[in-house]
Amino acid sequence: MSNAPVSIALRRVSAAFRSPEGATVAAVRDVDLAVRPGELLTLLGPSGCGKTTTLRMIAGFQEPSSGEILIGEHDVTRLPANRRDIGFVFQSYALFPHLSVFDNVAYGLRVRRKSAHETRTAVAAVLALVGLGDLERRSPSELSGGQQQRVALARAIVIRPRVLLFDEPLSNLDAKLRVEMRTEIQRLQRRLGITTVYVTHDQEEAMAISDRIAVMNDGRIAQLGSAEELYRRPASSFVAGFLGRANLLPATVRASSGGTVTLDVCGAAIKVASAISHSLGERLSVMIRPERILIGPPGGPLDGEIVSRVYLGEKAEYVVQVGGALLQVIRADPPEGETLAPGARVGITLPRDGVQLLP
Amino acid sequence: MRLVAERASERARPQRNHFTRRAFVAAAMAAPFVSGKAGAAGSLNAYSIWPENYARPMMEAFEKASGIAVKFVRFSSGEALARVAAEKNNPQIDVLFGGPVETFTAGQSKGLFEAYKSPSFGDLPSRFKDANGQWTAIADDPLVFMTNSGFLKQHNLQPPGSWDDLLNPAYKDMLQMADARTSGTAVTRIFSILQVHDRNEDAAFAYMKKLRKNIQSYTKSGGGGTLPVGLGQAGGGIFFIVDALFTRQKGYDVQISFPKEGIGSAAECIALIKGAKNADAGKKLIDWATSPDMQSLLAPNKINFIPAHPKVATEPSLAEVLKGAKIIEIDEAWAGSNRQRIIERWIAEVLNAG
Amino acid sequence: MQGDPLRAGVVVALWLLLGLFVLYPLACLLIRAFSDDGGFTLGPIVGALGNPTHLRALRNSLVLASLVGILGTAAGFLFAYAAERTDMSRNARRLIDFIILLPLISPPFTTSIGFVFSFGPRGLITHDLLGMQNAQVYGWASTTCAEALTYFPLAFLALRPLIAAIGGDLEEAGFSLGGSRWQVFRTITLPLTMPGLGNAFLLIFAASLADFATPLILAGNNLPVLPTDAYLQITGMFDLKGGAVLSLLLLVPAGLVFFAQRYLVERRSYVTITGKSGGRARGAGATAWLRWVLWAACAAVTLFILYLYALLAYASAVVAFGANATLTLDNYRVIFTEGVPAIKDTLIIALIGMPLGGLYGVIVGYLIARSRGFGRHMIEIVSMINYALPGTIVGIAYLIAFNDQPFALTGTATIIIACYIFRYSPTGIRTTVALLQQVDRSIEEASFSLGASSLRTFRSVTLPLILPAFFAGLGTVFIRAMTAISATIFLVSINWTLITVRILENMTEVALGPAAAFSVFVIVVVLGVTSLLNVALRRMTTLRVSSLGTAS
Repeated sequence: MSNAPVSIALRRVSAAFRSPEGATVAAVRDVDLAVRPGELLTLLGPSGCGKTTTLRMIAGFQEPSSGEILIGEHDVTRLPANRRDIGFVFQSYALFPHLSVFDNVAYGLRVRRKSAHETRTAVAAVLALVGLGDLERRSPSELSGGQQQRVALARAIVIRPRVLLFDEPLSNLDAKLRVEMRTEIQRLQRRLGITTVYVTHDQEEAMAISDRIAVMNDGRIAQLGSAEELYRRPASSFVAGFLGRANLLPATVRASSGGTVTLDVCGAAIKVASAISHSLGERLSVMIRPERILIGPPGGPLDGEIVSRVYLGEKAEYVVQVGGALLQVIRADPPEGETLAPGARVGITLPRDGVQLLP
Repeated sequence: MRLVAERASERARPQRNHFTRRAFVAAAMAAPFVSGKAGAAGSLNAYSIWPENYARPMMEAFEKASGIAVKFVRFSSGEALARVAAEKNNPQIDVLFGGPVETFTAGQSKGLFEAYKSPSFGDLPSRFKDANGQWTAIADDPLVFMTNSGFLKQHNLQPPGSWDDLLNPAYKDMLQMADARTSGTAVTRIFSILQVHDRNEDAAFAYMKKLRKNIQSYTKSGGGGTLPVGLGQAGGGIFFIVDALFTRQKGYDVQISFPKEGIGSAAECIALIKGAKNADAGKKLIDWATSPDMQSLLAPNKINFIPAHPKVATEPSLAEVLKGAKIIEIDEAWAGSNRQRIIERWIAEVLNAG
Repeated sequence: MQGDPLRAGVVVALWLLLGLFVLYPLACLLIRAFSDDGGFTLGPIVGALGNPTHLRALRNSLVLASLVGILGTAAGFLFAYAAERTDMSRNARRLIDFIILLPLISPPFTTSIGFVFSFGPRGLITHDLLGMQNAQVYGWASTTCAEALTYFPLAFLALRPLIAAIGGDLEEAGFSLGGSRWQVFRTITLPLTMPGLGNAFLLIFAASLADFATPLILAGNNLPVLPTDAYLQITGMFDLKGGAVLSLLLLVPAGLVFFAQRYLVERRSYVTITGKSGGRARGAGATAWLRWVLWAACAAVTLFILYLYALLAYASAVVAFGANATLTLDNYRVIFTEGVPAIKDTLIIALIGMPLGGLYGVIVGYLIARSRGFGRHMIEIVSMINYALPGTIVGIAYLIAFNDQPFALTGTATIIIACYIFRYSPTGIRTTVALLQQVDRSIEEASFSLGASSLRTFRSVTLPLILPAFFAGLGTVFIRAMTAISATIFLVSINWTLITVRILENMTEVALGPAAAFSVFVIVVVLGVTSLLNVALRRMTTLRVSSLGTAS
C-alpha cells in the first residue's frame, strides 16, 4: 500500500462547534495548509489553538464545517476515517484494553483481511522495529507508559498507511522518555517515508522532530516554516514568544533608507534590514534572543545593572535592567570566577544581526 | 375530628417526641426498651379489617360520642389476625374491629381474645355471637356474585344464578376472587361452597378445581377484584355485598346476583384482645359498635352492611337487592376448627393447580 | 492515626450496630429456619426443596429475574447509547434524565397500576387502542415488562459512563485502523461494554429477584414467586418459619449475584487504564439511520413511561377511574386527612433516617477507605449484607429478631429507621470510598502534621472533601424511606405506618384514587427533596472550593 509518499492539502478549512450553551464557537478558521510528500509537519500551539481539531479533521474523526481536505489527489473531505488509510497515534494511546499487544497491532491487518501468516509476519516485524518483540502476549495494562506508546506506534504503522497522524503522543511520558521516543518517532518516520502530521504544544519537541512547523494561534496558522526560520525570523510577537525565549523591546526609527532602518533600542543605535520604509520617529517593536546579547565590563554604549543571575552549568541566565527595560540574557559557558551579583554594573552589547523587526 | 386526631396522636405517641430528642446512638441503644406502648387513658388502638373508608366514619363517630381517641390501622383479615397472634405476648392493640366471623373463630382457637358481653349481647341471635362473648357481630355481610354488565351482554349471558353458571367456559380467565391465604372473603367463599356441597369436601374441591380454570387472578384482599370487574378487565367474581354495592355506587355498571343453591354470609365481628392495655376503652367501643348507635350510621354513610342488631332496620334499597336471595348458614364452630386444614388443602389443590 | 482512641471507639460502636442490625437478625433468621423443638434440623429446608410449589416459585423467581435482567439491560444500553452517541438536543437529553429518574423515585406499584389499566380484556391499550378481546394482563409478559421498566434506569446509570469512555479514542482508534462501524462495534465497543453489561444485568437481576410489589399485583396465579409467597406465608398465614424458609431459598441466588457483581466491578480496570479519553466524541458514532432507530426506540419507551405516569396522575384526579371521569380533588383530600398519619410517620422516619444514614455511610466509607487489613474487609462485607439481601429476607429477619426480648423493637420507629439505614446506606458508603480513593491521603496527613486530632481532621478536612458522598447517602436513604416496601412492610405497626404500605392497602381495597394520589404525592416530595439536596450540595461545594482552594 505504501507507494510513493502523498501530499496532504487543506483548503480554507474551518471547524465550528456548538457549545453546550448553544453558541457557535470557531475552533479552526480558514486554514490553508500543504503538507509535502514524506515530510513530518508539526502543528504547534497553545491549548485551544485548533491544532488537534485540525488533525482530527485530517483523520476524518470530525467533518469540517467548510473547506476541503485532500490526501494525495483525492478529496477526502466527506470520507469516514476508516476509508482514509491513515495511522493515528492518540495522546491516550487508545490501546484496546481487552486485546493483547499482538492483537492490538494485528487489528488493522485483520480488518483488512490479511492472511494469518501475513499478519503474523508483519506484526512480528513491526514489534521488532519498535523494540517490543518479546512482549506480544502481554496485555496493555501490563506495560509501562513508554511501552504502551511503542505499541500504539506499531499499531499505527503496521498497516503502512499513506498518512501518519500523531496527537500529542508524548505528553503522558516523563521528560527522559519523551526525548528518547521523539528520536524514535523521527527515525521511523524517516525510514518509512510516510507523510506525517504531528501535534504538540512542546516547542522543543516540535523543533527536534519536524521538517516544518506550523505555529497555530486562535484557529489560524500564524507562521509556517522550518524550525530555524521560525526561530530566527518569527513573523509575529506570538511566534517569537512561543518558540524559544525572546526579549520584545520597543524601538524608535532614527533613520530609514534603501532597505535598512536605523533604530533606537534602549538607547543604542541598531541597523536592521527592512523591506518597507519607515517614517522618522515611528515606534516599532523588535525581538532579540537572550543568547545573542553580550555582557561585558561597564562603560560601553549601553550600561545596565544585574537584577538576577542563575547559574545552570553550561550556561548562566541573567536579568539586566537597561534604561526602563528588563533584558533576559543568556551567556554560554560563563567563565570561572565571574561574580555578577545583583546590583553589579555591566556593559551590554546588542547584536547588529540579531535584532528582528516585528510587524 | 382533626382536633381529636391531633390530640389522639399527641397522647398516643409519647415515645415519638422522646425519640426525636435523642441523638442517634443514644436512641439506638435506648430504643430497644422503648417499644410501642400507647397506654394513655381515654384512647385505644385497633386493627380494622373493614376498609379505611368504612371504618373511619365509624371511628370518628365513636370518638365524638365517647371522647375516646381511637388509633387504628387497616389490614386485611389474615394479616390482622397474623399480627394479633404475633403480638400475643405484648399486645399492641385493644380491639380487633370488623372482619368476617371465620377470622374471629380462628383467633378464638388461638386464645387471642378476652370474653366480653356488651349490653346488646342478649338482643342478638346466636349466629351473631360467641356463646361466651369471645366475639360479637356488628353487621352481616352475605357473599354475592358480581358480574360486569358489558361482559354479560357481549357473551349473551344472564347474571349467574347458580354456582354452576360460573363454570361456563365464557368466563375462562375472566373471574377474580380473593386468595384464601390473606382474605377472609375467600375463606367464607370456600366454606360456602363446602356448605352447598353438604360439607362433602371432595365434591366441593372438585368444584373449586373446575372453577380454577376460569380464574384470572386470586386477589390479596376480598374486594381486590371489584375494580377489575367494574372496569370489565374481569367478567365477574364472588364478593361481599358491601364491596359489590360500593362498586356500583362508584358508577361501575355491574350486576349483583345470588346462586339458587344458596351462598354464605359472614357476620362482621368485633372482639376484645386478651391483655389489652386499654381494656375499658375497648369495651366502650364494643358496647357502641354492637348497639344501634353505630349500626344506624351504616346506611347514612352508604356502607352496605346489613345491621346485626335486630332493632336497626335494613336500608330499603339494600333490602331490595337481598330480596329472594338464599343465604345459608355456615357452622362457625366447624369452620373455625377446620379453617387451617381447609386453607392448606385449597392452596395445594386449587391455587397451585393452575 | 491507627491508635487513636476516638477512632477505636467509633470502630467498636460501629461493630455493635452492625452486630445488632445486620448479623443478629440474620442469625435469628437462620436459627429459626434450621431449628425446631428438638434443636438443629435441616428438615424445613429439605422440605421446602422437596415441595414442588416452593421449587416452582424459586424457578419462577430465577427465570423472571433473568428475563427482566436481559430486557432491562437492553433498554438501559439503548438509552445510554442514544444519550452518548447521538447528537440529541439538550432538551431531549434532559427528558431522558427525567424519565430515567422517575422509576427510581416512584413508590412501588406505580408501573403495576398503569399496566392493570392498560392491558387485559378491557385495557386502554389492548382493548381500546388495539381492539383485542381476550388479552390477559396477569402473568409473565406484564410482570417482566413492568419490572424491566422499573429497573432499567439502573442499567442506564451503570452503562452510560462506560459507553462515554469507550466512545472516544478507543472507537476512533478502530476507525483509524480501517475498521467499519460494525467491525468496531463488534470487536471493540461490545467486548469492552461486556463487563458493564454483566454488571447491569446482575444489578437488575438482584432487584427483580427481590421485587415483591410488582408480582403481587401483576403475576396472577400462574406465576408464584418467592418474595410474594414468603410475604403471603407470613402475613396471611402467620407462618414465620415458613416465610423464613422461603426467604432463605432466595439467599443463595442473591449471594451468588452479589459476589459475581463484586468480581465484575473489581475487574472494571479495563476502560480506565489509559486514563483520559472520550468527552469530545459525544454526538459522533451513530450513522443517520441508526440514530433514527435509536431515537424511535427511546421515544417509544419514554412515551410509554410518560403515559403510565399520566395515567397515575389522571387516576388520582377523577372520581372513579373508568366509570366516572369527573375531576375531583377528593382523593387528595383523603390523603391529606385520613392519610396524614401515614404521611407524618413516613416523613418523620425519612427525615430522621436521612442524616443518620448519610453520616453512617460516610463514616463506614471512611473506615473502609482509610484503614488496612482484615477488619476493613470485614466491615466492607458486613455493611453490604442487608443491601445485597432481598428486602423480604431482611424484613423477615428483623421481624423475627426484634419481636421478642432482649431487643423488642417491634412497633417502634427505630426498627424501621434502622432497617433503612443499614439497608440503603451502601450507596453513600461506596461513593465515600470512591471519593476518598481520589483524595490524596497527604491532605489528611497535612492536617495531622499541623496538630489536628483525627476528629478535627475528619470534620474540617475529610468531611468537606466527601460532602458529595454524604449527600448521595442522604438522597438514597430519603428516596428509599419514601418508596421502599419489601422489607418494611413487615415492620409497620399501629404506631408507625408508611405511605407505601397505605398504597398497597388502598390498592387492595379498590381505593385506587387515594393510592394514585399517594403515589403522586411521594413522587413530588422526593423530586422536591432531591432537588433541594442538589442545590444545597452545589452551594456548599462551591463555597468550600473557594474558601479552601482545594479544588482539583
